[in-house]
Order: sequence, then structure tokens, then C-alpha cells
Amino acid sequence: MSDATATTAPAERASTVTRLRGWLGNPWGRPRFLVVITWGYMVWSIVPVLIAVQFSFNSTRSRTIWSGFSLRWFTWDPSDSVMNDPDLRHALGQSLKLAGADVLIAVPIGVLLALGLARWRGRGAGSSNFIMLFPLVTPEIVMGVSLLLVFGHIFTFIHTGTLAQVLGHITFSISYVVVIVRGRLFSIGRQYEEAAADLGASPAVALYRVLLPLLTPAIVAGAAITFALSIDDFVISQWLSSGGGTTTVPMLIYDATRAAPLPSINAIASIMAFITLVTVLAGFLVYRAFTRGERAAGGGMVGDMAAFDI
Amino acid sequence: MAGEVTLVDLVKRFASVTAVDGINLEMPSGEFFSMLGPSGCGKTTTLRMIAGFEQPTEGRILLDGNDMAYTPPHKRNVNTVFQSYALFPHLNVADNVAFGLRRQKVAKHETRERVAETLELVQLTGFEKRKPAQMSGGQQQRVALARALVLKPAVLLLDEPLGALDAKLRKALQIELKALQQQVGITFIYVTHDQEEALTMSDRIAVMADGRVEQVAPPQEVYEEPSTVFVADFLGVSNLMDAEAVGGANICRLRVGDFELDATRGKTDARGSVRVTIRPERVHLEPQESTGQNRVPGMVERLVYLGNSVQVIVHLAVGTTIQALLQNVGTEIPWKQGTAVQAHLPADALRVLDDTGAALAPLDSAVPA
Repeated sequence: MSDATATTAPAERASTVTRLRGWLGNPWGRPRFLVVITWGYMVWSIVPVLIAVQFSFNSTRSRTIWSGFSLRWFTWDPSDSVMNDPDLRHALGQSLKLAGADVLIAVPIGVLLALGLARWRGRGAGSSNFIMLFPLVTPEIVMGVSLLLVFGHIFTFIHTGTLAQVLGHITFSISYVVVIVRGRLFSIGRQYEEAAADLGASPAVALYRVLLPLLTPAIVAGAAITFALSIDDFVISQWLSSGGGTTTVPMLIYDATRAAPLPSINAIASIMAFITLVTVLAGFLVYRAFTRGERAAGGGMVGDMAAFDI
Repeated sequence: MAGEVTLVDLVKRFASVTAVDGINLEMPSGEFFSMLGPSGCGKTTTLRMIAGFEQPTEGRILLDGNDMAYTPPHKRNVNTVFQSYALFPHLNVADNVAFGLRRQKVAKHETRERVAETLELVQLTGFEKRKPAQMSGGQQQRVALARALVLKPAVLLLDEPLGALDAKLRKALQIELKALQQQVGITFIYVTHDQEEALTMSDRIAVMADGRVEQVAPPQEVYEEPSTVFVADFLGVSNLMDAEAVGGANICRLRVGDFELDATRGKTDARGSVRVTIRPERVHLEPQESTGQNRVPGMVERLVYLGNSVQVIVHLAVGTTIQALLQNVGTEIPWKQGTAVQAHLPADALRVLDDTGAALAPLDSAVPA
């Protein structure tokens, strides 16, 4: 019967629909329906960024009409390129400075806190572990306002500006480092520490010779995420800034888009996106390189995503 | 000779659980000593206290007469082979084995020599540069052994070291491990829940239950002459029967239902309600019409073919079910399902047991001996 109807045009159209439904929803095949949704989301989220990046290479002042490729807004425009506009240059410097200081201070503190919290048994351990998650869920604006109050009324020797901004970034970054490192600590367990102690290593030597090498991937991942969060931050940087000299790139972009922005704003945004991408990618690659052997062993020592256990 | 471990009234309580409940054990130097018991019996906790990973709540741990209960693990002259091996994944085999020597600041050339020597002992020469992840489970197990043995400890602690390996490899390594222990001559304290492992390798076995020691004896004695209900049940098929001890001293007169049996083994001076056991291979099945002392009529309930033997499950007239194990010698077995038989339970095979009240393993986890 299907042979007979297949020759007529409407039936053929119907069968195309049926075939499409079969292609999307074949329970024995790949989950194509989900694949389509996933790709749809990726296009939706990445296309605006790509367009913004594209116009950072525009040769004219327009941010909407494409007139050809040029590095004008990066390097050679005498007054408005990222390289030659002192405001842009300074904002980039300020962002990198904050992110660098954040990584250098928040990561070591976060690692120590994670070690302490993961090995702390008994009263208070549970609530401390819970409180550690607070900065992750507190709205940033609340944290910004509270920190401003603290610096304005209690720790009055800390003035708004770079120092306050660094302290603010550290405050919310530590939690991320703690969560990542603690996840890794739980997944590697106590066995390596015990083995080291059994073989004659004092707690300090066990930490240095065994635990830190095993934590390296988590520490690198924590540093990469800290850097990316800090360079991306707007709310805290804005609340704790002292104007002019402490403007970061996100603050600058926000201000500029309210005036008449030039493609140089796109250029500096492109640079930011690039730096963030490279940092996170590097963190991921290091994490993978360090844990490759463990996955090959297949002994369930460390799952792929152990770093993101909470 | 060094390596004598003595546990005195050892107790370990965790928040609400008493894991080890007053253990006294003496493990002389050079002995292969096993702690055998089901999970949760306290054997691993005891081992961890000897290693120093747990602090005893009470009691003493003597190594060659010195109490080391409060010495941290890195200062104890004992080494551990972990169940998970715990090889350092970021170090290669040679560096794993050399880890302890470097902590002792042994000279470089001596370290190299001893690492090579020990790797040869465990037959891993040539694997120095491999990472643990690039080795099989059996090889990793040998690295773990080498890493502990290279330090020439007075005592080697082994926490179910063969648990993660497949059955065939486990059998081969059991024999190797025993040979290795005799070669190096140090005390091995071995924790396992596998009775076959314990029976194969040990000089003596401590059977543990509920944080206590049920019996300490050489393998043959533990198997042949279990002193408690738990030991009889845990080591192989238990064939437990409730009985009433009514008299006798060297020969214990038992009343089981309407029948009277004599028993000459175990706690023969017991009186009142007792439990008795008999090994399945000691139960003789005879035709229905046979008569004599220590015979109980019954009916064959089931035959189970086990290859080299046949298990006959007999429902006795007194209400209990017992197993008889017949060697498969090629002749036909005259019993079928439903055959009425006389079960002969020889007096010198019936054992009166001491009931310590330790919970027995549930039936479905029982493994044929």
C-alpha cells in the first residue's frame, strides 16, 4: 500500500515530514533533536560576539556598516586606537593589574582554606563549608555595597581605588578556588597523604611532595577561573573605584556605549575576550594534561569533572 | 629479632560506633598473621591503628615492647600496603619505591641499589620509568609491595591487598606473597575478608566479629576446630544445630529433639542450651535401615553437583537441615531427592560451640567451602 501512495506528490511531502520526524526522533539513533537545540543555542550566544569582534576590525568609524578589514582601532589610529588612546590603554592596564593581583593573592589563600576545610572534621566543619558557598550566590551588587560600607565606616584606612578593588575581587574569587580545590581533594581522598606518612614523610613534606603536585590541575583551573572572573568583573570594580585612574575595561565600555562609541571599544572588547578565552583554554589544557594518566587508569581515581564537584 | 607486635586492650570508638572493642593479640616476630572477618568487624581499623592512621581510644600497641600508640605514622617502623595501592600517580615506579628512602635521607647510590634490588624481588626490573597508570593491577600491587619492603620495616601491614584483582591473579599472588614473606622474614599482618586467602597464607589467623576476636589459631585449627558459633559459621558451611547438653565431661551427651547424640569435640563440659556443628564432609549418609549410636533419620531434600564433590542437603527428623559433602569419586551416588536416609554424625566430628553472640552472616552471602 505504501508503494502505491508513494508515487503521488502529497503523499511524498507527507513522507518527507515523517522522515524528518524520524531523523530527529529516532530512538535508536543519535539524539539529533538535542543536537539541533544545542547548536541553536551556540549560534545564538556566539554570533553577537563574533559580530562585535568583526567590527573591531572595521576600517571606518562605523560600528554597523562593514567597510573592510583594518587594524586601525587596535594600533594605528593616531588618537583613538587602543594603543594610542591613553584612557583605553590605562583601562586595559588596570584590568590586568587587578586580575593579576587577584590570582596571586586569592589562589594561595583559597588553596589553604580548601585544605583546612576538607580535612576539618567535627563541630563547625559543615557550616564553614556551607558559608564558603555564600559569595558564589550573593548578588554581586550586594557584595559591592557591603564592601563599600565596610571600607567607608570600619576599615577607613582602606580608601576606594585600586587597593579596595583588589580586596573586593579577592573576596569573591576565593570561594571559587576553594570549591574547585576542595572538589579535587575529596576526589583524591586521604590515601596519598596516608601513604606518604606511612613512608616517613612529615605532614609538611607530604603536603609539598604529594598533595601539591596532585592538586596542581585544580590550582591551575582555579587560577584560570579567578583571572577570567576578575577581568570580567564590572559591579565590584565600579563600586570600589575612585574614578579616573581606576577605570577598568568593563567600566570603560559601559561608559563609552552611553556616549558615541567608536570601533576602538569593540577592539578593546575583542582583546578582553581573547585574553579570557586563552586563559580558560590554558587552564583546561593544563588540567587535562595533568590528569590524563589518572583517566587512563580507569580506576575511578578522579573523574573528568572532579574539579567542579561541590 | 625485631617485629613483634602486641595489642593490649585496644579500643577504638568513633562518634557512636565502637569499631574495636578491646582486642588483645600477640603477633610474634616473623609471623604471617591474618585478621579475618566480615566487613565492619574492626579488622581494618585495628590495622590502621597499628599503622598510626587512627588513634586508639584506649589500650596499647607495643612494637618490640615499646608503646607506639601515640607515635605519628611517619615515625613508626611499620609500612603499609594499601587496598587501593595508593601509588603516587605523579611519580614513576622508581620514584615511588625511592620515596621512603629519600625521606630517610639515604645516600643516592644506596637508594638506587636498594630500589633495583627490591624491584627485582617483586619481579619488576625494567619497569622503573613507568607511571602507575601504565601498569596492570597486579603490577601496581607489586610496586606497592616494593615501596613498603624497600624500607626494611619490622612489620608489614597489608590491607586486603589482593581485593581488587581477579580470581586467577589473586590465587597466583597468594602463593607468591607467602613465599616473599618467608624470604624477607619480617612480620606480615594481613587483613582480609576472604577465608581462602587467610587459610592459604597465614601462620595464624584471628577471626574477628563485632570488634572482638573470636578465635586465634593456625589455619587448620580455625577450620577444623572452630571454638565459637561465629567462627564455625564464617569459615565454610556451618551445619549448626540447636541442642540441649545434658551430661558427660569428656563426652558430652546432647539431646536434639527426640534423639541423643554424643559429642567429643569443643566445649564438652557445657550444660543447657548449646549449639553444635559438624563439617559437611564428616556427615555420613547411610541407608534408612542402618542403626547405631549418633544416627538421625532424615530425608534428602536436594542434590547439588559441585564438580569435584556433591552436596547433599538433608532435612533431619529433628527439624534442622544439614549438608553432607560427598567426594565425587566416579561412583554413582545412591541418594535421590526424597530418599529416606540415616545421617551418621560421628561423635568425634560433633563439636559443641561457645556462643559469643556475634551476629552471623546472612544466608545469601554464605559461600560453599
